[in-house]
Amino acid sequence: MMLSAPAAGVLVLLAWIHPGHALYFHIGETEKKCFIEEIPDETMVIGKYRTQLWDKQTSSFLPATPGLGMHVEIKDPETKIILSRQYGSDGRFTFTSHTPGEHQICLHSNSTKIALFAGGKLKVHLDIQVGEHTNNYPEIAAKDKLTELQLRVRQLLDQVEQIQKEQNYQRYREERFRTTSESTNQRVLWWSIAQTLILLVTGIWQMKHLKSFFEAKKLV
Amino acid sequence: MSGFVLSAQLLCVWVLGSELTFELPDNAKQCFYEDITIGTKCTLEFQVVTGGHYDVDCRLEDPEGATLYKEMKKQYDSFTFTAAKNGTYKFCFSNEFSTFTHKTVYFDFQVGDDPPLFPNENRVTALTQMESACVSIHEALKSVIDYQTHFRLREAQGRSRAEDLNTRVAFWSIGEAIILLVVSISQVVLLRSFFSDRKTTTTRVGS
Repeated sequence: MMLSAPAAGVLVLLAWIHPGHALYFHIGETEKKCFIEEIPDETMVIGKYRTQLWDKQTSSFLPATPGLGMHVEIKDPETKIILSRQYGSDGRFTFTSHTPGEHQICLHSNSTKIALFAGGKLKVHLDIQVGEHTNNYPEIAAKDKLTELQLRVRQLLDQVEQIQKEQNYQRYREERFRTTSESTNQRVLWWSIAQTLILLVTGIWQMKHLKSFFEAKKLV
Repeated sequence: MSGFVLSAQLLCVWVLGSELTFELPDNAKQCFYEDITIGTKCTLEFQVVTGGHYDVDCRLEDPEGATLYKEMKKQYDSFTFTAAKNGTYKFCFSNEFSTFTHKTVYFDFQVGDDPPLFPNENRVTALTQMESACVSIHEALKSVIDYQTHFRLREAQGRSRAEDLNTRVAFWSIGEAIILLVVSISQVVLLRSFFSDRKTTTTRVGS
């Protein structure tokens, strides 16, 4: 199988532009699917999705459907919306975290034609890349004119930076965990003391009250 | 030669890895699909992060529907397989056994190897010593990042349990204090009502 050089070049180019077969799942018309990304701060996240609609006539998935859009909503750890945008049937969204924690990425379809997929399914290919996976090394090599060895070292540096950020985040979370545990400890201590006091006080009050009640009734 | 390089490059396009954390409501099942070519080595790893008893059912099926992996109520597991057929592989997480707890599940599905750094790399020449050192450091760092992820998930689990315990302690302590007061006051009131001054009751002491 010997292709001519231009044809081969075009084929390779098409193969790289086309998103390829990422993981996919089915989504209903009004369904909202949410994914959680727990990331340290100043981390870049790139999400790419591709939708395909089931066509009953051809009994197959259509490659692309105009008018079919997905609404992407991204919330930061304080549940504040940092991105809320409508994209087409193929989309690419990106954000950088400014606070460490759980970010929530929600997708739901927002079709312009009503009952576009009545009884049908929508196939959504999704690919979310975080941190150093967002780096496009061939592009970096071309831009900074790096040799292969320099590029490999650059990749290692990015990986180590990600590990460092994660360790930092881990320290912050451990601190939160420790505060929560200490608060629980304090609460258990004070409430136990308080409850014992309430018990004693009510017991004494009961005895006194009943004694005076029976004395008044002349039963004692 | 160029045909071989071309097909090698095309093969490299189809290798990907997906790592996602999603919420699985009670009585729900969530399935993911991936098209895999024959001979690709794949790994599925999952871990339950929060919810209930931290367990989920997982099932992996090949394109013909034969079950490759099935485990019930597992907290964490890792499964490696080589694709024996071309087609769409399906894996599902089920929380159908749970009535009211929803779970957060993390999974990492690696298909094949990572794409090479250079797209037009041809491995005719062997790697130099520096390059192979870089490759082994890269692999080691990848495994460090993987361990970090699992540690982070376990820590999230521990922390959510601790926060849960904290709110529960507060809630139940206040509740118990109120119950204590209410019960002791009502005991006294009830006892008083037994000895209340009613003309009809004084004659019925003996019966």
